[in-house]
Amino acid sequence: MNYSDPRLQDLLAGEYVLGLLRGSARARFERLMMQDRTLGAAVVAWEGRFAGWALGLKPVDPPGYLEWRLMGRIRGESRGRGVAMRNTFWRTWAVAATVVLAIVVVTQRLTPPAQVRAAEFALMSDTKGNPLWLISVHPEANRVDMKVVTPNPPPAGKSYELWMIPDGGKPVPMGLMNQTGEASETVSSELLARLAGAKALAISLEPQGGSPTGQPTGPVLWTAPLVST
Amino acid sequence: MAALSADIPDRNRFLTDLLHACAQGRQAAFQALYREVSPQLFAVLVRILKRRDLAEEALQDALLSVWRNAGSYAADKGAPMTWMVSICRYRALDMLRREKREVSLDTEREDLDEDGQEVSQGEAVTDAVAVSKAEERRLEECMGRLNDGQQRSIRLAYVDGCTHEEIAARTGSPVGTVKSWVRRGLESLKRCLEAT
Repeated sequence: MNYSDPRLQDLLAGEYVLGLLRGSARARFERLMMQDRTLGAAVVAWEGRFAGWALGLKPVDPPGYLEWRLMGRIRGESRGRGVAMRNTFWRTWAVAATVVLAIVVVTQRLTPPAQVRAAEFALMSDTKGNPLWLISVHPEANRVDMKVVTPNPPPAGKSYELWMIPDGGKPVPMGLMNQTGEASETVSSELLARLAGAKALAISLEPQGGSPTGQPTGPVLWTAPLVST
Repeated sequence: MAALSADIPDRNRFLTDLLHACAQGRQAAFQALYREVSPQLFAVLVRILKRRDLAEEALQDALLSVWRNAGSYAADKGAPMTWMVSICRYRALDMLRREKREVSLDTEREDLDEDGQEVSQGEAVTDAVAVSKAEERRLEECMGRLNDGQQRSIRLAYVDGCTHEEIAARTGSPVGTVKSWVRRGLESLKRCLEAT
């Protein structure tokens, strides 16, 4: 095929936008598009011509947890360095654990290797950056602590509920937020294991006493990533 | 939100500002962008993928890509909403190819008539429309000049992400006929749009 023929170029661009170029034809077209500006412009033109159909569809609200998950992801990326440090921490921990295990073997003790996991923290802040709650997860004690930094009572007849956002799947309820001082919740080992893979925590506005459905029913007001020290 | 959407140039400027702020790493801008555009993008994805779980995955991937590539957005990529719709559509089409369309096309269809005629007619007016009404009318006018097979093929491909084979099955026509409907349809459409 002679890809320099403008008529053909335009036709291929149209088919590309419709999603009708597939396999090797699609790959070839994408490569040509990198080399040839006019091809890219032809694609953009077709995208613009048809966009009205996409924008004419009746909007569908995505589930609330998608927003938290995405915010958790982009916060995670923004903390790129922090994540790298966390990996280093785990590598160091792995080496330390190996040493501990070696000692255990040498001394022929029957005690299992310690399942020590560092505490993790999430700071919930309002849009101005004022901290509201400091939440800490203590795996060694099966405990989640919630410390009020700036008192922020919910509207009358409502409660704030804490949720864990797993990397995949639905939010997991973690209890109601306290309004003063510091509160602790005991959590199961199973929940702690899931928390290890969680990306973020979130707080939603719920009827007094918490969500009746086990899933968030009100708006999500705050989210924060979980970071280890 | 509706007030911002009332005027299309204003809305485009607003979305462009948000993308610009995203490019500078401002997370609050991304959250505002998410709230502004996600229902429309999700509608596009649900329509193509037919399954909510897949649509959620696609929306997440596409919006992460918007966040990462916000700095590369420029006016020559089209209107901001068009640019984001395209990122979503290509993501969805990639997923469809990966899934090899295990999903039956006839199940879980959400209150749409078989050939997608509802699109851009009927309930078409939403506050998220970012292309001018005049352009949309012109597209419909020019579409109206195509024959029925050409119109249906192009719409089914764009709106539902159908392959040539799927369009053939739905219209009860040979694949070869569908291919030429699409080509002739695109050619006439472009001629008509450029003439008016």
